[in-house]
Amino acid sequence: MGVSNVKQWSRIVKEALDRAFFTAKFLCLLHVSNTYLCTVALAHGPSMLPTLNLSGDLILADRLSVRFGKVGPGDIVLVRSPQNPRKIITKRVVGMGGDRVTFSVDPKDSRRCETVVVPEGHVWIAGDNIYASTDSRNFGAVPYGLLQGKVFWRVCLFHLLISFHNTFFYRLLHFILLWGYIKWNIIFDCLENFRIEKDNILNHMPRK
Amino acid sequence: MGVSNVKQWSRIVKEALDRAFFTAKFLCLLHVSNTYLCTVALAHGPSMLPTLNLSGDLILADRLSVRFGKVGPGDIVLVRSPQNPRKIITKRVVGMGGDRVTFSVDPKDSRRCETVVVPEGHVWIAGDNIYASTDSRNFGAVPYGLLQGKVFWRIWPPQGFGLLRHVNE
Repeated sequence: MGVSNVKQWSRIVKEALDRAFFTAKFLCLLHVSNTYLCTVALAHGPSMLPTLNLSGDLILADRLSVRFGKVGPGDIVLVRSPQNPRKIITKRVVGMGGDRVTFSVDPKDSRRCETVVVPEGHVWIAGDNIYASTDSRNFGAVPYGLLQGKVFWRVCLFHLLISFHNTFFYRLLHFILLWGYIKWNIIFDCLENFRIEKDNILNHMPRK
Repeated sequence: MGVSNVKQWSRIVKEALDRAFFTAKFLCLLHVSNTYLCTVALAHGPSMLPTLNLSGDLILADRLSVRFGKVGPGDIVLVRSPQNPRKIITKRVVGMGGDRVTFSVDPKDSRRCETVVVPEGHVWIAGDNIYASTDSRNFGAVPYGLLQGKVFWRIWPPQGFGLLRHVNE
């Protein structure tokens, strides 16, 4: 009686560990693709109006362009802020190293403009909404090493899903999460069956 | 005859794949620990004499101190150069954000000194050999986000094996 309990428990524990490792490996894959391929970011604030919304936009940024130097003027980039190293800001690149950049020093008060040459290895970033943006006009040219990614896509469904006032969409979100959980277990079971079949075939071949 | 050849090949292929996966997993573990825990660097050049040699020193730098903000004046750090984003340089931190830093502008020619306040979120770095070092005196305070690691140990040359001293200002 005790032995069959131990066997049952060991089988349950083994299956739980297998699922945990499968989930861990999937999360590792997500982390690696997030760090080296493409990342998701939530950009909020008034500094990139009208391109990005005030209340938050879900955007995709790819990491390969920055690594291979394919960033140029006109690109929206994610930058680690020089004023606060734990914050990532979204701005548009205006000039690369060696370019001459002209900007209006204080657009609300005066028409005075200044021209600077961007140092080598640096970029000049500016928000689309120059009236409400702290960018290179405040902290100067930013070293290229602080660029984190180039934004290329905005995910538009976010506004539908986060409107909690509308309970239909809230229930839809719950339904999608539950369906995802069920699908996850089905995927895991399919992979398990495939692995068992493959082991059977490879192990039973020597025996005629 | 043909079937036994296939059996042998499938066994060899299976063993080769197992070893390849094992090596791949080990390389992944190495890469992860190199990126998030501790990295090895080869530092050469005259800018950190006499602490580090001219011809090349193998040093260990940990990545956790930078991530958790445990870097202070007197630490040797690896920094991504503001002048060339593909190059990593080794310098000593002289001041953090908010500190007042006094430095000699051109030590070979004159005794003139300047004092600056390091902006928030930036660090002021300087080589130990001020006569032959391009550091913050040339390119200004460096944003903290460019720090890559804090150097704590030297592994080569063997005479210099050991902890690299933290210099108290």
